[in-house]
Amino acid sequence: MKFTFNPAPNLRQKQSTKRIMLELMLGLLAVFAFSVYFYYDEYGTDVALQCVLLMLISLAVALVTETLWALFTRQKLIPFLSGSFGWITAIILTMMCPVTITPYALGIATFFSIFIGKLLFGGFGQNIFNPAAFGRAVIFASFAGATTDVITAVTPTTLMATEYNWLVVDPNMISKLMTQVGGLDNLFVGFYPGAIGETSALMIMIVGVILALRKVIDWRIPVIYLCAVFVFASVIAITAGMSDWLWYPLFHLFSGGVMFGAVFMLTDPVTSPTSAQGKCIFALGAAILTVLIRVKGNYPEGVLYSILIMNMLTPMIEKATDGKQLVVRKKSAVIFAVIAALGAGCVSLAASVIEPAKEKVKEKVFVKLDDPYLSTLQANIDSTVDNGDGTTTYIVTAQGFAAVEGPNMPNYDHPTDPNVYEIIVNRSDNTVKSVRVTKMSDTEYIGDKVESPKFLSQFEGLSLASEFEIEVNDAVTGATYTTKSVVRAVLEVRNALGF
Amino acid sequence: MQFTKLKGGTKGKVNAMSLFKGPMHQHIPGHKDLTETKEVRVLKPQQWVYIPLYAGHSTDFEILVHEGEHVYAGTKIAVCNDRIVVPIYASVSGTVRGVQKLMHATLKTQDHLIIESDGKYEMRQAFAPLDYQRAGKEELVEFMMNAGIVGCGGAGFPAYMKYKNVKDIKKLIINAVECEPYITADYKMVQSNLDLMVTGVLAMKKMAQAQSCVIAIKKTHPELIKQVQEAVANIADVTVVSVPDVYPMGWERTLVRHLMQADYKRLPSEIGAIVNNATTAIAFGNALINGMPIIEKTVTVSGDGIKEPCNVRVPVGMQVKEITEACGGYTDEEVKLIAGGPMMGKTIVNDQFVVDRASDALTVLKIVPYKDVACLRCGQCSDHCPAGLQPVRIAQSLNAKDKAMMERLSVMDCIECGLCTYVCPSRLDVTENVRKAKRQMQLAKK
Ligand code: SF4
Ligand code: SF4
Repeated sequence: MKFTFNPAPNLRQKQSTKRIMLELMLGLLAVFAFSVYFYYDEYGTDVALQCVLLMLISLAVALVTETLWALFTRQKLIPFLSGSFGWITAIILTMMCPVTITPYALGIATFFSIFIGKLLFGGFGQNIFNPAAFGRAVIFASFAGATTDVITAVTPTTLMATEYNWLVVDPNMISKLMTQVGGLDNLFVGFYPGAIGETSALMIMIVGVILALRKVIDWRIPVIYLCAVFVFASVIAITAGMSDWLWYPLFHLFSGGVMFGAVFMLTDPVTSPTSAQGKCIFALGAAILTVLIRVKGNYPEGVLYSILIMNMLTPMIEKATDGKQLVVRKKSAVIFAVIAALGAGCVSLAASVIEPAKEKVKEKVFVKLDDPYLSTLQANIDSTVDNGDGTTTYIVTAQGFAAVEGPNMPNYDHPTDPNVYEIIVNRSDNTVKSVRVTKMSDTEYIGDKVESPKFLSQFEGLSLASEFEIEVNDAVTGATYTTKSVVRAVLEVRNALGF
Repeated sequence: MQFTKLKGGTKGKVNAMSLFKGPMHQHIPGHKDLTETKEVRVLKPQQWVYIPLYAGHSTDFEILVHEGEHVYAGTKIAVCNDRIVVPIYASVSGTVRGVQKLMHATLKTQDHLIIESDGKYEMRQAFAPLDYQRAGKEELVEFMMNAGIVGCGGAGFPAYMKYKNVKDIKKLIINAVECEPYITADYKMVQSNLDLMVTGVLAMKKMAQAQSCVIAIKKTHPELIKQVQEAVANIADVTVVSVPDVYPMGWERTLVRHLMQADYKRLPSEIGAIVNNATTAIAFGNALINGMPIIEKTVTVSGDGIKEPCNVRVPVGMQVKEITEACGGYTDEEVKLIAGGPMMGKTIVNDQFVVDRASDALTVLKIVPYKDVACLRCGQCSDHCPAGLQPVRIAQSLNAKDKAMMERLSVMDCIECGLCTYVCPSRLDVTENVRKAKRQMQLAKK
């Protein structure tokens, strides 16, 4: 009979770290599956397969890196791999990247995540930064251009950052923005392009709730983070004077990496504080930074850097909340309140100094008669018909866009053909009665612009005896050329009349 | 059975949601059904009993009998003459055969007085009974001291200490919670000694001059609640209160926190509470009515490592080997034999030790190997620690050999309840790390 010694206690609960990681992986894969479906539905099988391919590459790189490390450091391979959880990092990293990323850039980033972000720090449990966030930052820093063009749509956050300054007050622009992103409900459900795993706030939320109930992630971090982002964004909206402001905090919550970060990244236990109080402060800090970086830094994405910064502050938070919980609780509540107040101050300050986005007034472009380019275009009056009612109809051929593109451009329908116009003139006072396009050979979308009645009506009543100028319908280069073609035709008539 | 288990499963959620602190307790599957419904087996030692000369932290005993002397069950054989007075009584009739150092259930070697049993179990009243209704407060405290009533909550601390110089006691709390898994001895004792308990409780209430008294029992034992409720139905100011099935609800501090929504620094009497175990009340009642000290114990023998889990009633000083044999023996060639419950009890590497006055269980478990991984830093240990400590940070301070940090983390307040190890998903020996830190602090203080 043998009696084994073991320090008390002699019972263990069922949940193990391995099981936690497994359930986390299942949660991630559920979100990933949704994304793959979205890409399949929207862009076809190729793009969906691209998502899967990227994931596989990242997983493979993670596995190889960890295997080599185990071999070099002479650790037993299987126990090492099963206790290192590199696959989680690979999955999260892939899901943080857009589908347009090159497999090469993703591979390198995975290597950096695992090797520098984790192994060099001493392996699982010792790393300071969230390895996946670390890898993503590497991509931002070194591979910004390493994208493929499987799809070219703009993500809502990029749109918000580049065109709307992360702050819109004008109701017209707000509704324009909403049409561009397909409405808040679409943002929430997730049918829009972005980082592979970040699009569906709804899906992530459902998975998050399940994981929190199963104690795989701590509920405090996502709850506080999301609530705080909502509150701080609301503060901005109100300070900036939005009348109908609820959409604004919701846009913050549903777009970009906020939801994904809340559920899958900030909750990484290794890189967040261990105590309940510490977790609360950590999540609050991350929320303030996310909103500030988005609005003030005007980046598409504030989540990533806020996570990395808070990772760095974790040891400090831990130290501040050391002690007996019932004592520290009061201290923590004070710290929390102070940080929250500071955060509110910062964001409202930021909101009051930032210019809300304004509708860009397009510069008007005019074609004048002394435009040197006009003389390079050839024109010819094909026929002159007296209509008998005091007007004369001229049929004029004039070179258009084709003159620029040259005769050998392959992709266009009528590369060398000039355009033909019908110009009717009142002879009594030499004013233009109307201009019509009878044959338009310029490229579609460009030629169209001059066929619009609004554009052509500019000519009506124009006195050919004096100088005139014509406004270009849309300041696209090609459109300008076509406009000049019309002006050239009218000029030809003017010349014929001897002015 | 299925039904009670299911109910038990939801109990851990009580107060689990709090922003700035963890729940500070945890539901643990109790496995109480293994022994709760079975009859208590009465066992007698074959020949030898070994009475531990040990109480609380005191081992300075004056032995009152000499080798070869005949004793009865109830004969006073030794008395401790430290600041704290604790007499020790023989548990069987027979002949004194000397003193020997043996391994004690606390894992230390202690002096044991050996008695060769004559198999007759002749009893002698150890001291004169006392009518608590006539006796004064001081008289009762004195009586409790001389009867050798020790706290039955494991530590074996003399019970009368709690009643010396106390005033303004609002609540006397009788602890019948038994939060350790497997153990049902307390329930069995209460069920079969309701009258003695009521007497003990009333005497204690008088000693404490408490305004009211509550008897705390786990929600998951409605039968027991009903029985005790009936027993105290006609007594003013004594009520039964049900508490959630979480560990360590039976720890004084957790129980007081739950019942009084308040915390204290060192002793519950600071906030007007005295806590005593139900078995202590029974022992006291027995002393008052029958003039007998604790010479017998009801002990739960349970776990998946023993063939016939059950409760046994044995004389103090009976060897564990004899008890486990009477319970059908072990289920495996290699087991963990725990003096006490699986959470706080110590594994002992032989079965030669004996049942002491503070023993209430022997837990025998099969060996389940666990693979540990690196600390996940999940903070579950901190969330659940009933003392509000942060075991994961303590482990870090131990690694860094940072005494100042240990001090800041109040390492010494750990009660070694074992919950941090229980919840740790990385399967680390978290409690053991805290113990090591405690030891370092103790060494540094000396
Ligand atoms: S063993 Fe100590 S540190 Fe661990 S949970 Fe219990 S009291 Fe807290
Ligand atoms: S419960 Fe275990 S894994 Fe979690 S923080 Fe504590 S020691 Fe680390």
